[in-house]
Amino acid sequence: MTDPRVGTRLPPRDFGPLTMTDIVRYQGASGDLNPMHHDDELARGAGYPASFGVGMLNAGYLATYCTAHFGTDSVRRFRTRFRKVVFRGAVVTARGVITRVFDEGGESRVEVELTLTDADGATVVEGTAEFVTRR
Amino acid sequence: MAVMPVEWGKIREYAVATANDRAEYLDDPKAPIPPTFLATVVFWETLGDVFDLPEAVAAWADAGVDRDVRNLLSLEQEYLFHGELPRAGDVLTTSLRFDGVEEKNGRSGRMLLVRFAVEFRGDDDVLRAECRYTSAYLNTPEAVS
Repeated sequence: MTDPRVGTRLPPRDFGPLTMTDIVRYQGASGDLNPMHHDDELARGAGYPASFGVGMLNAGYLATYCTAHFGTDSVRRFRTRFRKVVFRGAVVTARGVITRVFDEGGESRVEVELTLTDADGATVVEGTAEFVTRR
Repeated sequence: MAVMPVEWGKIREYAVATANDRAEYLDDPKAPIPPTFLATVVFWETLGDVFDLPEAVAAWADAGVDRDVRNLLSLEQEYLFHGELPRAGDVLTTSLRFDGVEEKNGRSGRMLLVRFAVEFRGDDDVLRAECRYTSAYLNTPEAVS
């Protein structure tokens, strides 16, 4: 990204629809084998309509969204907060806006506010991250 | 403490699992790690051990609750990188850090926030990255992550 400015909005990007394959592939890759994400019977027993997506997979989608814009070796901070669970079939939309342009450690950096929302517009994951834009 | 080798195959697997098709991850044997890749530390380090640290045991006792990790709900994760990103071929040494318990009174009553971290060090003991976790301690078991 050239000449980043405060207020610049990154183009939105959709991920999904979420499948069980997406869920188990992420669980295998990440090592988080919590059965609430792939065992419908267990999830129903806990009051959910079905097993649900993995918060860190949604955070991973936001990370993918960011590396497409800022490159793969530029992240300095990546913080995500989990707000809502999603279920299979969900399409989530990543959005980002640059909120700060600053220098630190001899590098030019941007701070980005990130959101991942569901089809109803509800926030699934929110986050802030910092990326190096020039060193 | 654990020794965590950063492996290219694992980086590829993680990138694909997060719908990331950047060539730097898929085609470079010295691939950098994706921003949330250090979540895979659980293959090498038992995060629950952080609650056995003496400062954690004391903090739980002060808060007056049982130390039951099944009651923890993950709220937030933060990844911090100090300088160049770890890459495939690097070897990181991990250590667990307990950052405290904070009591909050919200709409749903008393809530405890529990904070801990994993530190990742490279050669010469240099701190290269941290994962910071914030979890809520629930009175009813409800495992969500």
